[in-house]
Amino acid sequence: MSTSPRKRPASEALVAGGVVVLLIAIVGIIFFTGAGSELYPPKPATVQAKEVASLYDLVFAIAVAIFVAVEGLIIWSILRYRRRPTDVDLPPQTHGNNFVEVLWTLIPTVIVLYLFAISWQTLNSVDYTSVANGQKPDVQIHVLAGQFQWQFEYLDANGKVVATQTKPLGEGGGMAVPVGKKVYVTLSSGDVIHAWYVPRFLFKRDVIPGQTNNFEFTVDPAEVGQTFRGQCAELCGTGHNAMQFQVVAMTQADYDAWLAKLVEAANATPVPPPSGAPVLALDAKNIAYDNRALEVPANAPFVIAFKNDDPSTITHDVDLRAADGTTVVANQDPIAGGTTAQYSYPALPAGTYQFFCSVHPGVAAMTGTLTVK
Amino acid sequence: MATHALSPAAVPAYRGGLYEWLTTTDHKKIGIMYLINSFVFFLIGGIFALLVRTELAAPGIQLFTNEHVYNEAFSIHATVMIFLFIIPMLAGLGNYVVPLMIGAPDMAFPRINALSFWMLPLGGILLLAGFLTPGGAAAAGWTSYPPLSERGALASPGPGQDLWIVALILIGTSSILGGINFLVTIFKMRAPGLTLFRMPIMVWTMLVTSVLVVMATPVITSALVMLFIDRNYGGSFFLPDKGGTAVLYQNVFWFYSHPAVYVMVLPAMGVISEVLPVFSRKPLFGYKAFIFATAGIGALGFSVWAHHMFTTGAVFLPFFSLMTFLIAVPTGVKMFNWVFTLFRGQLTFSTPLIFAIGFLTMFLIGGINGAFSASVPIDFALQDTYWVVAHLHYVLFGGSVFGVFAGIYYWFPKMTGRMLSESLGKVHFVIMFIGFNLTFFPMHMLGIKGMPRRIADYASDAGWNDWNLLATIGGFMIAVSMLPFIWNVFVSLRNGKIAGDDPWEGNTLEWATSSPPPAYNFDRLPDIRSERPVFDARHGLNAGHGHAAIAAGGHGEAS
Amino acid sequence: MTAEAPALTASAGHGEGHAPASGHAQRGISNPILGMLLFITSEVMFFSGLFAAYFSTRAANAPWPPDVFKDILDPLGPIIIATIILIASSFTCQFAVWSIRRGDRKGFVRNISITFVLGIIFLVMQVYDYTILFSEGMTLGSGPFGTTYFTLTGFHGAHVFGGVLMLGVILYRGMAGQFSAKHHDAVEAVSLYWHFVDIVWILLFSILYLL
Ligand code: HEA
Ligand code: HEA
Ligand code: CUA
Ligand SMILES: [Cu+2]
Repeated sequence: MSTSPRKRPASEALVAGGVVVLLIAIVGIIFFTGAGSELYPPKPATVQAKEVASLYDLVFAIAVAIFVAVEGLIIWSILRYRRRPTDVDLPPQTHGNNFVEVLWTLIPTVIVLYLFAISWQTLNSVDYTSVANGQKPDVQIHVLAGQFQWQFEYLDANGKVVATQTKPLGEGGGMAVPVGKKVYVTLSSGDVIHAWYVPRFLFKRDVIPGQTNNFEFTVDPAEVGQTFRGQCAELCGTGHNAMQFQVVAMTQADYDAWLAKLVEAANATPVPPPSGAPVLALDAKNIAYDNRALEVPANAPFVIAFKNDDPSTITHDVDLRAADGTTVVANQDPIAGGTTAQYSYPALPAGTYQFFCSVHPGVAAMTGTLTVK
Repeated sequence: MATHALSPAAVPAYRGGLYEWLTTTDHKKIGIMYLINSFVFFLIGGIFALLVRTELAAPGIQLFTNEHVYNEAFSIHATVMIFLFIIPMLAGLGNYVVPLMIGAPDMAFPRINALSFWMLPLGGILLLAGFLTPGGAAAAGWTSYPPLSERGALASPGPGQDLWIVALILIGTSSILGGINFLVTIFKMRAPGLTLFRMPIMVWTMLVTSVLVVMATPVITSALVMLFIDRNYGGSFFLPDKGGTAVLYQNVFWFYSHPAVYVMVLPAMGVISEVLPVFSRKPLFGYKAFIFATAGIGALGFSVWAHHMFTTGAVFLPFFSLMTFLIAVPTGVKMFNWVFTLFRGQLTFSTPLIFAIGFLTMFLIGGINGAFSASVPIDFALQDTYWVVAHLHYVLFGGSVFGVFAGIYYWFPKMTGRMLSESLGKVHFVIMFIGFNLTFFPMHMLGIKGMPRRIADYASDAGWNDWNLLATIGGFMIAVSMLPFIWNVFVSLRNGKIAGDDPWEGNTLEWATSSPPPAYNFDRLPDIRSERPVFDARHGLNAGHGHAAIAAGGHGEAS
Repeated sequence: MTAEAPALTASAGHGEGHAPASGHAQRGISNPILGMLLFITSEVMFFSGLFAAYFSTRAANAPWPPDVFKDILDPLGPIIIATIILIASSFTCQFAVWSIRRGDRKGFVRNISITFVLGIIFLVMQVYDYTILFSEGMTLGSGPFGTTYFTLTGFHGAHVFGGVLMLGVILYRGMAGQFSAKHHDAVEAVSLYWHFVDIVWILLFSILYLL
């Protein structure tokens, strides 16, 4: 088999080389300027997230370098080694080359070992918790996930629950935390698997029934006053997408006041329903009301004796809104599964209203019509 | 082009009535039935994908009545694409070419081969029958994690999930039988002279794939069986409130499903490794290294399953992270082997080569963005976001599907005796390539900015609208690109250029027989002294042995 | 898994680096036996999945067995007889293989018949054992202990049943005189399967009853 040396005009090599340089330039411009910021994580909001973000930057740079190198080689070969009509003889039949093969085994090995090492290092600080190291965190919150909402229990230093935030997202529900403090979170679920995810924390952790997970974070003091979007990240059924929450970063003083109010509300004796008012019974089970058409007399306050028969992680309530679904007429606090409440409602003019569970606004089985006449 | 035929007029091999096709045990006909069946399921899976993309084009719930239907759509999309399209598609290509490539008359167990095939449409029908049941089809994702996939009122109460389980067990059994068949065929039926280290890479990748199938698929069967017992006979494997363990399923599932991702890509890598040398007129660079890398990927593949479970808090993170990173090394070896096969070659940009290059460029992106997830802290941010959706489509579509099309354009002349149209092929490629990147590249941005996967709706103020719209447009572009392809196949079957035995100047044994090959495959085999017997014969490298029966191809090299 | 010899072995076959030569004989293990070994490999993996589930479930549930079923699995009860029967059947199966290797068709039929009957006895005893357990309130649905026990033994029983069917087939073919000292791949394959089923039982017995 003959191999003839290939004679190519130098200009072609220049063109090919130029294209590769251009490619690198374009990638460089895209990734390291404004347009490329789309490929970077959002601004990290916790001490831990900052470390992850800088790890990401490093990995990203290495990834771009590898990408450009390999893609460049491919493009170079495509442009440079097209078959010409003059190419009758076979090109050199290279079967391999031990030197380069060892090289391109060793170099990636070194790169991945390095990546592993820096990842592990970051992991150790992301996964650090005071509790596992015999210290006390500043704040302890127990998160209960249930189809399809979040509850946050605030614990005191002895691990006793002092207050529970059950309000759904639409009513200002969510998780409040003081900035600059170590917040230790435990997670539990009573039904299926969920995941606690806050994009700006660059962090998520699964909430698994039968297993209590935990993690710790410290919000960057510069983020005081910010509200972070949180969302369930593990498919958990029909309402998966609606399973959102928020984390509000406060100063320690604001946080203390906020928590005190929550405690106070929890300990307040509920206003007794006006005696003589009509009482309707309503049960919720499997994320459905047992009765979706209720009737009350007009212009008189009334009471709904509400029972939540779902597992303890699932909360419900019975709110009222105008028939067109817009104006909220009455707003109750959700109760946990296995408990009951006496909800009182004001006197209403005759007409039709909607009652609905504010925890499960999208679920048809949790909306009904209230006829007032 | 060489038109010299080894066996006289073998063209009628594919005429034959319907009955003959339905009862055939000929690996070539079974292979073609695999391809057609899988392609039909590709279109079905694609339609579900388009529904998903339509829903996601803008915030709000528009197309579906509620999120449950959306969940059915993507669950069935993925199940169909993985179990009824990509795995059988690659098995079908292997079915057609492996016996030809090793100079065998058929697979080792032809009747079992037919059985494996017929289980697939049956499984597919069972799976889709879920839509006819109350409660609809399976809606717990293609991973179907319990307790969501258990029978609870708020989990998966209907029979759709049971049909999903039964269909997967059936398809899995089909895979296992197919894998055994490939292994026995490859080990026992090679032509004289075709030693293991002279086998075409495609055969090697089918070998490693089959080992993975035989060792991993039964494990998912066990997970499915346990889930079925939980759902129907009061079992408590995965139900924590009854003493079971929820993450147990994930461990067993991924013990199969990670090796399975290599089942979904190794044969496509095999195709690429056949196409690149032929169209650059060079041998594959580092043939042996390539084989060891393939075996290495297979072996490492069994030790990384928990990288899908980094956020469960129930696995030993550093070990699985390290092993996952290490997989990049053998894969990188292959990548460089391919690139150096092109390097200093004489490239002819026929459609198969273009698709193969599409594979190289896109799989590279998919591999690299997978390596991000190997870093545990980064995966804490990326897991279950659209980043992972981007990753899996870059490897599965950008890798495997481009590889599949490279294979179809490459072997179509062998299967039918006619060439596909080159210009339609290029139109197909260009639209698909652009559409693919429009669809899936924006998903990186969505993922890193925090859009979770498996949601039917998203907040309009989250900054995700534009990327989603772009992805939807891209998705429809991919669908459009199928039209020139389908048209090409239909037109070329009747009017395509006659291919001749060896239209591409191939290297491997399938090019030594007629197109299409006779029922028994070969009248006569060339002498096999290297991994490129047909190349050797064309260039007279095995002359003097009385077996050089191949006429030298086209360009009349001075050899 | 029956033997399906390739119709055309002239150009195919083994061949490790030999110059092409026509009319070469098959060498090494035959296709059906290799196929069976691979099939058994996949079965081993299937049972590994179940065993992994068993150990993981057991680790998560103390005490094991739960108090209600404290002594329900008595290794010295009828189950020990069933175990001995199954082990014995492995021996008779192997005797059958040796017989046919020698060309002794009568001995083959005799030994396979015994194996076949022993297999059926094992199945009957397992059903009997199940009825006792059911009567004591242990079922698939009675918590992790019952779930794992019946899943593991049930799938093993199903495999014994499959093995008995295979034994029936080769018994029938053996009586029809289809096997000889040279041609008995099916016998070898079935005996491999039967030994595998036996070994799984020994493991199961040790884990469920003794450990
Ligand atoms: C064909 C299928 C396929 C292939 C080949 C791969 C290949 C890889 N995958 Fe992927 N993966 C999937 C299919 C596949 N994956 C699917 C379907 C899912 C989602 C499942 C679900 O949840 O639904 C998934 C999810 C997934 C996850 C879980 C994400 C999550 O849910 O959080 C992870 C985590 O580590 C991962 C990693 C990898 C890695 C490291 C590789 C590596 O094998 C890639 C190696 C290749 C390269 C790196 C490129 C070439 C190499 C070089 C040029 C050398 C130099 C490179 C370096 C030094 C980095 N994959
Ligand atoms: C091989 C595997 C494969 C392939 C090829 C595809 C192809 C596509 N996928 Fe798929 N996808 C997966 C595997 C695959 N996917 C997996 C494993 C998941 C994870 C699921 C989970 O979370 O459980 C997923 C999830 C997934 C999602 C995320 C859903 C979610 O998380 O909510 C999305 C969203 O856009 C998507 C889109 C697409 C699109 C647009 C295509 C396109 O390429 C499709 C192109 C369209 C066609 C090919 C159809 C063309 C046909 C016609 C136009 C009809 C013509 C008819 C006739 C001629 C008769 N996929
Ligand atoms: Cu909870 Cu998704
Ligand atoms: Cu994986």
